Amino acid sequence: MAQVPVQSIHRDPQLFYWILFPITIVMILTGVLRHYATVLMASAPKKQDQKATREQRSLLHGINVRGNHHVLSKPSFTARRDALITAYESGAYLKNPDSRGQPPPNPMSDPNAMEGMMGMMKNQMAMVIPNTLIMSWINAFFSGYVIMKLPFPLTIKFKSMLQAGVATRDMDPRWMSSISWYFLCIFGLQPVFNFLLGSDNAASQMAQQMNQMGPQGGAQMFGPGVDPNKQFLAEAENLAVIEHHSVLDGVEQRLLAGIKV
Amino acid sequence: MAPPILHSPVQLSPAAALALSQQAPAFLRSSSSTVSSSPLSTLLSGPEKSEQWLQYENLIVSCLRTGDDQAAHQCLRRLVARFGDDNERVQALRGLVKEAEAQGNGALEEVLKEYNQILDENDTNIPIAKRRIALLRSMGRLSDAASALVQLLDFSPTDAEAWSELSDIYLSQGLYPQAIYAIEEVLVLAPNAWNIHARLGELQYMAATAPGVANGLYQKYMAEAVKRFARSVELCDDYLRGYYGLKLVSKRLLNDGAKATRQTDDSEFALPGTSTLERLNELATARLSEIVRHSAASDRGWRGYSEAEVAAARALLADDASAIER
Amino acid sequence: MVICILASPIIVIRSFGASRPQAQEASNTAMTLLSKTITAFGSLLLAHACYSAREHTALQSIRAATAATLTSSSTAATSLPVDIIIETIISTFIILLGLVLGTRPLRPLEWRVWAGKIEREGEEGFTDNAGAVDKDYMGNPFSVLESRPNFVDIRKQRKEFAEWVQKGDGKQGQ
Repeated sequence: MAQVPVQSIHRDPQLFYWILFPITIVMILTGVLRHYATVLMASAPKKQDQKATREQRSLLHGINVRGNHHVLSKPSFTARRDALITAYESGAYLKNPDSRGQPPPNPMSDPNAMEGMMGMMKNQMAMVIPNTLIMSWINAFFSGYVIMKLPFPLTIKFKSMLQAGVATRDMDPRWMSSISWYFLCIFGLQPVFNFLLGSDNAASQMAQQMNQMGPQGGAQMFGPGVDPNKQFLAEAENLAVIEHHSVLDGVEQRLLAGIKV
Repeated sequence: MAPPILHSPVQLSPAAALALSQQAPAFLRSSSSTVSSSPLSTLLSGPEKSEQWLQYENLIVSCLRTGDDQAAHQCLRRLVARFGDDNERVQALRGLVKEAEAQGNGALEEVLKEYNQILDENDTNIPIAKRRIALLRSMGRLSDAASALVQLLDFSPTDAEAWSELSDIYLSQGLYPQAIYAIEEVLVLAPNAWNIHARLGELQYMAATAPGVANGLYQKYMAEAVKRFARSVELCDDYLRGYYGLKLVSKRLLNDGAKATRQTDDSEFALPGTSTLERLNELATARLSEIVRHSAASDRGWRGYSEAEVAAARALLADDASAIER
Repeated sequence: MVICILASPIIVIRSFGASRPQAQEASNTAMTLLSKTITAFGSLLLAHACYSAREHTALQSIRAATAATLTSSSTAATSLPVDIIIETIISTFIILLGLVLGTRPLRPLEWRVWAGKIEREGEEGFTDNAGAVDKDYMGNPFSVLESRPNFVDIRKQRKEFAEWVQKGDGKQGQ
């Protein structure tokens, strides 16, 4: 087997103690700090008044009736449908019935919506600011040299990831620069935070990113800028076109056919 | 074995509740008493588990039930230390403790006044609203409780538990159609709940057999009761309660037998034919006797039924057998 | 481990005389033991294969080095012998078999079967091999809708409990 001669770089063993450990510890502490900063900054979820709750849950109720209409017998379903449609169309469940038909307010001018956006901004800031600071700190103090050798071989593709800031073409990708260690810490400290802070901590950036990507059904449905009256009218229409069938139709025959004595 | 206090202890038997509340001292000792939200202590004591708080909640209920007020207070103190005084669930639990310790009607009125005050400040405090309704009902003011519950359901119509409570209140007042309506709402929210299907069947049966029910209504109720029980069995194999109801209803309908089945318009359920009823009855009898047989032998895999239910099924079967002998 | 292996025939023998439920429990234990033994054996085999592969490579490189110094012509890298490869594959399958044997019975997939299992077997149906109840087992998930813990009438429950205690005392006194 033609073996590549093992590259050996003589490093000061102190590098290990004065760079690797400090970066790791600083990263962990920042994560913990960020967690508590987010906890402190998070404003308590705003209390909804009774009318807003009523508006949302009445709509949900209609959706439930539409989705599970088959558990009801025909008379009970018809009674519910008629009542719901009348109430929806007359706007009985609306938070403020006076503003029916008017265009929804601009979300930017709505104080409630602004608060939500501020919360999101705060979270973003709590993530971006420490990361920028630490990165510039590392760049200023520790950039440009190799600090450790990974104990396992890697392919050449990892070079750009592990040796950021050290532009040497022929160096084995196992050698790592400090800035790469920083990146590894960002992505690899997740379990550590889970261990220290519990699994639903704010320091877990990945979870945050996942949340941002995932569909936010509830928030979108009742988010700012959606006209509840239109939602109610649409739901009334949905209810009106249901062709009712009951799960109880012929249940005895199904049962007798399905279960053998 | 780990204490199974993650689910609500309300429906446990007295013996089980006693065993549960006797675990309280050990549980209180095993978990650290000082839970604060200061960063250092959480770092030192490791992550908190959300189950733990559920366990405290359930311990409070079972300790109050067995009269171990001291342990209940201790649990409550820890919950307050963690979640603060104005958390809605903590408020409700504190109310629960006060209710349990109240002596006489005056003290209960006092608690009720407190609830009203909290609700005046915040009318969406659902846990407290529920406690208030439960207290009203416990004090015998059924109609007040019902109207408060209707008010709660007006702004929160997706609360299955509240609908179920409303149905129960109406039932205790003898208002069968209202009780049926409320339990149907529960089904809309939980369409596959086999016990609720059986419950609805029971309600229909009770409504049908209530004194002074017209023949047409009787048949309508009975027809739906058969179907509801059948559905509950369809959703759950070997469901004792469902088969019991199925047998009860089909037997009664077979005994009625001779009465001409009224032609119903197609919007309502028609009673099944006599042959179908007979087969349903046979099926229910066979399954019930199998359940009773296995439970009596306490075979492996058949020990989940409650003794009272098995005894009732056995009585029903024995009743049937003696009727045939005669 | 040794004690476990020694104990297993005893358990199996005892199970012949026992009544049906006990027999099943004993066979359960024997099953876990069997699966663990198989897994351990497979792991051993796999470790052996790894060791052989490593030794083989070391030998090859030494031979290559000596050959290079002697004849100054590099020999091509030879692949692993077939028996090591076969051993690796077989040991993997043995481990797989052991793990599959050791898994608990699969959960029912159909709603009505699952619901029926809850009603019929109670907690017993949801235990793992060690006999502990599953953590996420909660009985009938819809029983909350009938017990309604948020509406609990605590005073009535207290009274009923006190009555139960009195009755129990009376029974014990007789």
